[in-house]
Amino acid sequence: MRFIDFSRYCERLEAMSGRLETIELVSEMLALLTEGELPVVVRFVTGRIFPDWSPLKVGIGPNLLYEAVAYVVGEKKAAVVEEINRTGDAGKAIEHLIATKEQTSFFRTELETTEVYQEFEAIARTEGKGSQREKILSLRKLFGNASPLEARYLARLVLEELRIGVGEGNVRDAIARAFHVDSASVEHAYQAINDLGEVARLAKQGEEALQGVAIQLFRPVKMMLAQQGTIAEMVQDHGEVAAEFKYDGSRFQFHKQGSTCRIYSRKLEDVTDALPDIVRQLLPVVKADVILDGEVIAVKEGKPRPFQFVLRRFRRKHEVSSYTEEIELVPHVFDILYHNGQSLIDSPLRERRVHLEKVISGFIAPQLKSSTVNSLETFYQQALDAGHEGIMVKDLASRYTPGVRGKSWVKIKPEVDTLDLAVIGAEWGEGRRAHFFGSFLLACQDKGKLLPVGKVATGINDETLALLYEMFKDLIVSQSGKEVFLEPSIVFEVGYSEIQQSPNYESGYALRFPRFVRVRDDKRVEEIDSLDSIRQRYEKRS
Amino acid sequence: MLKATIDADIFRESIDAIAALVTECRMHVEPDRLYTRAVDTANVAMVSLQVKKEAFETYQATKEELGLDIAKLKNMLGMMGKGDKLDLSLPEGGHRMEIAFNRYRYALTLLDVNTIRKDPNPPTIELPGKVILTGEALQAAIKAASMVSDKIALGIDPDNKFFYMVAEGDTDHIRLELGQSEVESLTLVEVRSLFSLDYLKDMGRVMGKAEKVEIHLGVNHPVKFSFDFADRNGHIDYLLAPRIEAE
Repeated sequence: MRFIDFSRYCERLEAMSGRLETIELVSEMLALLTEGELPVVVRFVTGRIFPDWSPLKVGIGPNLLYEAVAYVVGEKKAAVVEEINRTGDAGKAIEHLIATKEQTSFFRTELETTEVYQEFEAIARTEGKGSQREKILSLRKLFGNASPLEARYLARLVLEELRIGVGEGNVRDAIARAFHVDSASVEHAYQAINDLGEVARLAKQGEEALQGVAIQLFRPVKMMLAQQGTIAEMVQDHGEVAAEFKYDGSRFQFHKQGSTCRIYSRKLEDVTDALPDIVRQLLPVVKADVILDGEVIAVKEGKPRPFQFVLRRFRRKHEVSSYTEEIELVPHVFDILYHNGQSLIDSPLRERRVHLEKVISGFIAPQLKSSTVNSLETFYQQALDAGHEGIMVKDLASRYTPGVRGKSWVKIKPEVDTLDLAVIGAEWGEGRRAHFFGSFLLACQDKGKLLPVGKVATGINDETLALLYEMFKDLIVSQSGKEVFLEPSIVFEVGYSEIQQSPNYESGYALRFPRFVRVRDDKRVEEIDSLDSIRQRYEKRS
Repeated sequence: MLKATIDADIFRESIDAIAALVTECRMHVEPDRLYTRAVDTANVAMVSLQVKKEAFETYQATKEELGLDIAKLKNMLGMMGKGDKLDLSLPEGGHRMEIAFNRYRYALTLLDVNTIRKDPNPPTIELPGKVILTGEALQAAIKAASMVSDKIALGIDPDNKFFYMVAEGDTDHIRLELGQSEVESLTLVEVRSLFSLDYLKDMGRVMGKAEKVEIHLGVNHPVKFSFDFADRNGHIDYLLAPRIEAE
């Protein structure tokens, strides 16, 4: 498929709002693709270039992009930035710049979707001295050959935000529809191999190919997630349930084959090198080839320390040795997804626990099996007394469903009102804070789109403000006056006293007394709270 | 197969001419010449270069297409002294070219030609205006223009019989007029086009060394710079697409 055809589909999708018509159009497009094109185009349409499990990253910030575009249109970078500031949308601004460029060119070569992907892959693989220059050359080549419409979507792909409102769910259904396979098989295969692109390729081969996929070592899968709930409901629905402490640490996935292992974060990044002490603790005691799920917690003098201590280590890729002494990290393993060549994600929790206890001694999170509310509540109290966040209550018959926030796992913790929201903009501060951002614009998600729900400025001390500025300064997409638009890639946990309806923000809601709690380094933008969950919270209160 | 000896300065001029626009190219080796044609990443500027057998001290070759990493070669040029002799040798179907000079033997790994853009087809265009001037004068004018602007207009005024270059900055303005007696040759037709100085500056450094440069112009058309080197055994054409002035 030519990139122009893909772009035309994107343009039509961008103008659509209905779920059904979106699915139909995506499936129409998928049916046209060859096996080689499918993985690429499916990832593109979800705003991705590489599968989530892949370590490859394009790593091009707005600055590099603007520089390349400036070259192609024969303007100074400042002129490109100015146009983006004017429109507030990098994709459309670049489209306009390409359409009205004064610099002519001798010809354009038609871009194929697969060539665009190869160029991105080359960009992702360049490293070391001169890599910036190589990346710029690749970008110039792409934009030098792009028509205005292609440039809109190329720019957005580079920034990994397609803004066409096509979510994973829609694409999953479109794959099922295009290749006449069961939507549940598509979902299942996706959970196991964590790449909708590859799943689409298999779906084209047929139902059987989809059934044949299995979870693989060293290809991290998304973590299974939990909903809010109550002990009473769980006991009522399932009878006997399993309860485990809910640790205030960081989720990790441990893959081991023979004497090698890798550790992945909740965002599926390889964090092995940042956690040598976890490797040291787990590698000798795990007696099989496995994939384990657990939580790393920080401990000081026997007491669990807050989440930030763990994250500080996850983030650190260098000078690890000096940090390992300051904070002692302890793994708590609570699930197993793979055991000596056998995938366990379709086995019930009850059986997985048996496997888990066979392959590892120590480091297993204690589990209480009970069908009485009283004993579970006592367990909950013990967890809180020991300084943990609360407990997890799990259906013993449930499968492990990667990436799904289902009803099989429920978290019980003291009521706190916080939301995880993406930071999409900021405002320059005043006075003492003039060189930093003083407030941040937050957004929730709705079917792949980000909708503003308010700003947060309180709860941030000067030191954090400086740190936040460092984090955001290379993510500036455009500026207008004091307002700055940011590439959405960082998630804030924000506390509030109340959710209100509001005409001021596109989401229709606003937060009363918002305050910054922390940066959720372990969360991706796709995992932030949705408009639906905000609406539910609003309705529950009123 | 290629086995040849060449003067380091001629080699340097050839590589510099290509390096002004691209970082890699497909070099065609033929029994009587080397040639390449390449376009910059934004498809705005083209170079075509030919070095005849006669430019070499010795030259033996069979037809072949080589993927050259121009950026690497340009770095290597720094190691060569003036007047050095360069021995180039590449066995039949080899993947490395050996470049020997001044006791160094440099083995340059060739790039896979399939990863390099194919030779662009030069556009078929008629450029009626022609002026010939020294490379030095041309480079000086480009330098002067870039002090005030990032664009330059090149044109011929047939009524007043001169060739002109104009650069308009936000605040400043620079104009150069060269009459018939100040250039080698001038065709008196009305032509004018606007060009980006970003490209011209890089080309200017190469053209500055040429004894004379033929400039071919049209109305809102590309410009072609044509010049010889290595006692006319080497030839370079640069083509640059114009900027179309906003209404």
